Amino acid sequence: MMRVLSGLKIWRIFFAALILVLLQTGLAFAQPIRVIASWPALADIARQVGKDLVNVESLATGVEDAHGVPVKPSFVPKLNRADVLLLIGLDDEHSWIPALLEVANNPKILPGQPGYIDCSVGVSVLEAPTRVDRAEGDLHPKGNPHYLLDPVRAKVVAQNIATGLARNFPQHQQVFEKNLKSYVAELDNWIGRWEKMATPLRGIKFVEYHPEWVYLADRFGMKRIGSIELKPGIEPTPNHLVGLTQQIKEEKAQLLLYGAQNPRLPKQIANETGIKVLRLYSGGGSQPETNTYIKWIDYTVRTLVQAVGQS
Amino acid sequence: MVRSLRGPRQIAVSVFVVTVFFIPGVCLAQTSELEAIRGIVKNLEQQLQKALSRIDQLEKEKASTSVRVDQVEKSVQAVQSAPSSFNPAIGLVLDATAEHRAKAGGDFNFRAAELGVAASIDPFARMYSFMTGSKEGFEVEEAAAITTSLPWNLTAKGGRFFADFGRLPKNHPHEYAFVNTPLSIERMVGGESKADGVELNYLFPFPFFLRATLGGYNKIGEGNERLDDTKSRAWSRFTYLARLNTYFDVTDHQSIELGSSLAYTPSVRVAGDPSGGDRTLAGIDLTYRYQPLDSTTYQGLTIGSELFTNSERVIRPNDLIKREQSFGGYSYAELKLNKSWSTGFLFDYAPSIESPGKKTLSYSPFLTWNLSEFNRLRFQYSYFDDKVREDKAERGNQFFLQWTTIIGAHTHGFRGR
Repeated sequence: MMRVLSGLKIWRIFFAALILVLLQTGLAFAQPIRVIASWPALADIARQVGKDLVNVESLATGVEDAHGVPVKPSFVPKLNRADVLLLIGLDDEHSWIPALLEVANNPKILPGQPGYIDCSVGVSVLEAPTRVDRAEGDLHPKGNPHYLLDPVRAKVVAQNIATGLARNFPQHQQVFEKNLKSYVAELDNWIGRWEKMATPLRGIKFVEYHPEWVYLADRFGMKRIGSIELKPGIEPTPNHLVGLTQQIKEEKAQLLLYGAQNPRLPKQIANETGIKVLRLYSGGGSQPETNTYIKWIDYTVRTLVQAVGQS
Repeated sequence: MVRSLRGPRQIAVSVFVVTVFFIPGVCLAQTSELEAIRGIVKNLEQQLQKALSRIDQLEKEKASTSVRVDQVEKSVQAVQSAPSSFNPAIGLVLDATAEHRAKAGGDFNFRAAELGVAASIDPFARMYSFMTGSKEGFEVEEAAAITTSLPWNLTAKGGRFFADFGRLPKNHPHEYAFVNTPLSIERMVGGESKADGVELNYLFPFPFFLRATLGGYNKIGEGNERLDDTKSRAWSRFTYLARLNTYFDVTDHQSIELGSSLAYTPSVRVAGDPSGGDRTLAGIDLTYRYQPLDSTTYQGLTIGSELFTNSERVIRPNDLIKREQSFGGYSYAELKLNKSWSTGFLFDYAPSIESPGKKTLSYSPFLTWNLSEFNRLRFQYSYFDDKVREDKAERGNQFFLQWTTIIGAHTHGFRGR
């Protein structure tokens, strides 16, 4: 009798343990996919594609210069736990992400692995240099990486994110595709609105601090006449500034755009030429009005149009 | 009367006939015109639809042609670049100074031409090497393989590398914020923490950064002459390392990094001392950084300090062998003024290992001009209050103009942050 009771007790313990294990496993399956994105705009697009299935975090906040994002050890635990890593690509993150991946101890998000999602794949790239030589400045050999400023190209990014997520989590492929279709439709709607809103920008001449506005200019018909930097990443010489000031006056450029750069030179040029200076970041998320991709582009286009109207 | 009525009647009949037959005819004609117009409009609509479909089709064909052209171009590029596809990333650093010592005169010092190569070995490991030529000759400063896919947050490294001791000792001098290696590092660590051996790193699975290192080496220190590591020896004569390194974001713009290191050699043979003794070298490093995120390329402040302690049996100047404990260290601050200019100050306290009561104090302000990310000029003035070195040429005022340039791909990765 005692033996029977003892056997029952063992079975009870066994079943209780089994239930606990199943609960844990269930919880594990229920955990969202951990997505780490390099920039806030990518993080937002990932949220639109993944919805409740993903928990997304951006490492950069959107106010940083792409070449000056600090290599913070606090990013390392986040990368260590990530299921997938989203990158702008085109070597945009070359100064910080590779150093972090060295110590993140996460093989599945290393370059070439399924969890490493380069969002630039298939994007039609502008300004790919014909000569890769640092005499031409701090070039991006694969082309200008600031393509997210073109909402049409953002549709390719959304597709890449959906494909990458589905590659890693094929059980959710249909959900990602459905969300992608819905988000692309929303983007198309906004693109139509922006194209109408941006009509006053056609033919407007502008100057930029660093070459990062080419995709937006190409989409909405703006014309870049020069940059403050002598060459990409190279601060201007006095002679270059004199020539640029003269060019602004002759060509009647209306806007000077800068982002994470020092405002001293833009203000100096504005004082000499009367050109309207705008601080607009080439990465979203820097302020509440730009905390989603659509809000960021809308804010950017709206601000440019208002500035043209006032200048 | 009848005659008078005939005319009007005829008119009425005529009008009636016209009304009955002609106006409907007119209406019929108008209706048929409308129908004709409708027909034309419908035809135009159909033609417009066809034209729009054709435009769509042409755009798709153009896109697919572009894709095919892209694919062909990529195939051509792949074939052309296939032989070089597996080449490692290669970079070269040139570090040279013009120096003047008040008591000795001037010198052009070819400090280093450092060739760096790095690449993945396979899905499981990567390799890197730094080979340096200088006026002392050519040497392999580092050549190590590092695992990339060990479980349990582990990384193993083996070969020749800079041991994970302290903060600055494991960096190449051209990466410093100032010109010279602090004398405290030269005397207490032996300069750069060059070591032949193995290391194991563990990243704690915590939400904050905490990393532990364990290592075993022949010895640590480029200038460490305590051991001839070309010969085999007992395991008690190897050096064993333990280190903990952590980091906190105080705010979005400020951070503190803290590390503690311990290098223990169970048995160090001192010439003329048959018993020998152990050696303990320990260090604490603290780094404060202010890096405003929206202006980090042109503003910032870094304050870094390291404190070392060394305990070992040494031959005193009077030839007596005695255990001595020495303390030393450095502290510096670097202020980034804008993208091109930064300035700072270094204070260094370097004891004599054999006579810890004697020390060298140095004070060094410096100014750095970054012409670009790959081209840097630095001016530094140093004053050496030196009670240790017999060579008086190293005392007093010294001036340095350093030029550092980089070509190719060159990064020291996470440790160079």
